[in-house]
Amino acid sequence: MPKSIDKKYTDPVGKSVPRIDGKGMVTGQAKYVYDIGFANMLVGKMIRSPHPHAKILSIDTSKAEALPGVRAVITAKDTDKIKFGSNEHFFPHTIDQMALESEKVRYIGDEIGAVAAVDEETALEALKLIDIKYKILPAVFDVQEAMKPNAPQIHESLNNIAVILPVNFGNPDRTLKEADYVREDTFYTPAAHHACMEPHVCVGQWELFSNKVTLWASSQAPFKCREALAKTFKMDLNNIRVIKMSVGGGFGSKLEMLPMDFSACLLSKKSGGLPVKITYSREEEFIASRRKHGIIYKIKSGVKKDGTLVAITGEVIADGGAYCSYGPTVLAAAIMRIFMVYQIKHFRITGYRVYTNTPISGAMRGFGGVQAGFAIESHMDLLAKGINMDPVEFRLKNITTPNMTTINQMKISSNGLRECIEKATAAAEWNKKRGQQKSLCRGIGIGIAADVMGSKMYKSHESAGSIVKVEEDCSVYFFTGAADTGQGSNTALSQIAAQELGVSYDRIKCTSGDTETTPFDTGSFASRVTFISGNATILAARDAKNQILEIVAKEHNLNRDDLDIKAEEVINTKNNTTLMNFEKAVELCFSFNYGKQIMGRGSYNPNTTPIDFRTGEGNVSGSYGFEAQIAEVEVNKETGEVKILKLYDAHDIGKAINPQSVEGQIEGSLAMGIGYTFMENLQFKQGHVANANFAHYRLPRSIGIPPMESILIETNDPHGPFGAKGMGEASLLPTSAAIANAIEDAVGIRLKELPFTPDKVLKALHSINKK
Amino acid sequence: MITLTINTQKYQLDLKGHETLLEVLRDHLGLTGTKTACEEAECGACTVTVKGKAILACITLAASLDGGEVTTIEGLADGNQLHPIQQAYLDQGAVQCGFCMPGMIMSSKALLDQNPEPTQKEIEYALDGNLCRCAGYPKIFEAIQEAGKIMKEKNKKIN
Repeated sequence: MPKSIDKKYTDPVGKSVPRIDGKGMVTGQAKYVYDIGFANMLVGKMIRSPHPHAKILSIDTSKAEALPGVRAVITAKDTDKIKFGSNEHFFPHTIDQMALESEKVRYIGDEIGAVAAVDEETALEALKLIDIKYKILPAVFDVQEAMKPNAPQIHESLNNIAVILPVNFGNPDRTLKEADYVREDTFYTPAAHHACMEPHVCVGQWELFSNKVTLWASSQAPFKCREALAKTFKMDLNNIRVIKMSVGGGFGSKLEMLPMDFSACLLSKKSGGLPVKITYSREEEFIASRRKHGIIYKIKSGVKKDGTLVAITGEVIADGGAYCSYGPTVLAAAIMRIFMVYQIKHFRITGYRVYTNTPISGAMRGFGGVQAGFAIESHMDLLAKGINMDPVEFRLKNITTPNMTTINQMKISSNGLRECIEKATAAAEWNKKRGQQKSLCRGIGIGIAADVMGSKMYKSHESAGSIVKVEEDCSVYFFTGAADTGQGSNTALSQIAAQELGVSYDRIKCTSGDTETTPFDTGSFASRVTFISGNATILAARDAKNQILEIVAKEHNLNRDDLDIKAEEVINTKNNTTLMNFEKAVELCFSFNYGKQIMGRGSYNPNTTPIDFRTGEGNVSGSYGFEAQIAEVEVNKETGEVKILKLYDAHDIGKAINPQSVEGQIEGSLAMGIGYTFMENLQFKQGHVANANFAHYRLPRSIGIPPMESILIETNDPHGPFGAKGMGEASLLPTSAAIANAIEDAVGIRLKELPFTPDKVLKALHSINKK
Repeated sequence: MITLTINTQKYQLDLKGHETLLEVLRDHLGLTGTKTACEEAECGACTVTVKGKAILACITLAASLDGGEVTTIEGLADGNQLHPIQQAYLDQGAVQCGFCMPGMIMSSKALLDQNPEPTQKEIEYALDGNLCRCAGYPKIFEAIQEAGKIMKEKNKKIN
């Protein structure tokens, strides 16, 4: 019997339906890898380097192996010594990390091996018995020191600059001379940490005789993880299964296979096939997952008196830590994001991605755009000030428009940036407040941004697959390779599937991110899932619908093209009559005569071109998203504390598939932006992470969260699923600059180094008072 | 041997003595709804209630609660019926990755049982020990206000 369905969930696109997996999360029944266990499961621990830079002379594991309860110890000699990394397609020389290092260690925490034992106590005891002899090498921690020719050499490359990325267009030197006003600023942004509530955790199992590896992983990109495991184990993709469960946050840190994933599997093999669980402690999470690049952003621009931006030059130096990870493309994104926002003809910024003996920098929400956003949007305000122009007017004069091609060949279709700026400034009463509240030490500032929805940066294609399967009782299975890590993609994609199939959202069950049972998907990054996986989902649902309608057409001697399914009804579009309901149609498909299983499939690869890194040209994304943000602040001149009175975020999201979920992404981004602006700073002392816990690495908490207003701008993108665009990152990009700009409006100081701790604010106040 | 009543179920536990309540819940009893993200009283994900008060299971010795009653996230729903706080978190879209949710909801319960009409300030103070990295808190604040209203209505009906 078909189950009863709730009519309020027909036509679900655009409705704030409850999360498909929400009940499990509010009852504690949702299962994370952190929660799972198997009979006879072993506990794995990583053997890590205590030195920031050293040569490994010898490794003796015999004492650890002899300890009762220890089941396996692995080091590089148990591996094929194959390097892995994340930018293999475009920067093959940056594939520089071994799953287990055998000759050299490059940061405190670098993985040398792993142990598996019957319990945690024994595993920790075994770690103490591992005897490794090192030759300590001179280390370098500061990014500018590391660029010097005589700096200690971290990899076997020419120097510590892993990637130099010059991006050139037009003739900026000549046009700068023609500008009415030129200024140069340097901005400093620190390393930061993702701080997912669920740490990195995995269970690996190697079935010895069938040679099958299964990894339960807290992953944002299970298929990418599988690819790296297959490469480093020299195995076929279909011998490796990566299963994602509920994931307690990712923010970019769970995009890659880590040595722990590799080690859990290999420890399992060496211990005879027992499952091995490795759970990062919070301290390990801070040290040996991934971190945000600290960036020095030097930018020089020229403008005409009328506000036209004529040329930009600059230099971007990114502190990469010990290995490349996603670094080269983070650097590229930090330089090239500006083309989506401002119309520029003459441009030259050269980027450097530099090795240091510190934890590994990789992808973090915003992908270089947070650091760039702070620099560029602060600099734009300073340019506007230099020619006595209102910063909003200045931006409106220079922003990109709908249906244009940027200097580096990005093809922008829908573009709601102007509307975002207008709506945000209207909501915040910009004209009334700007420059008017100095007596109260209050100010208002703006920042704008744009983002991609997907980018072919990790491999040549960016395909997503979906399957929609209708069961005999009219319930619907939806399979996607996309990984929901909390952002709500399982819900949004299920809404898209239900809408296109023409059924109620509550018919749908979603299975996601299992490399054996779901189609391929590159993963949750670059704000791509709604757009790319969403399009694949439309195709799959449409295919399923076609299969149903073909049978209905045949049975009733009608033309299939005249039929459609909408809101649970099969309709004849020719005369707009209802033929039957969805349940009757499915009954027909599974009837004696037809016996047809309904399985729709969809594969979508955006019509884009990867960036040519020699020229900087490429239409990386199928569409582009935009947003404007306004901060209102009050500065306490006595204490240096800055209070945010309110944040406004107007966001061109194409179409809100689930408005509540969109707001949730915006609010979460703003909170993260507040953290990065005022407190987050991963600090290193001689290569040690000095604040590897929540007591010393402060995150935004409930006290101090300001009111936030989200304004959703729907531009109905021609390429987006139901007009939707991705939006998981853009709201984080301009927050620091909007706040910095508001602080200047309030008290006349310009802060160029994040985070804005009270001491920096007081110092800046003191220095203007001296003048 | 100690006795603990967890979500109205009585357990006799043979402990060594040094086990935290968190270890007992997760490792001994398989009640993995209670999470932890730090194990050092910084994140609040392990919040449970004892006599209506929110406590952190990661720094509470299980033996110190001998004879006591503990409520965890698993004990909140009434059969298939979600507790109004759980329903409000769902309805207000306060859930993202969900990992902080059990602790967040238990802190909310401790607050609302005492004070069903908390001010914004009171909510902020009650949740200050619970970290959320995804949702940025506004929808959590809304959920608590909403749940408070429903709980007050319900209490009225009972009385």
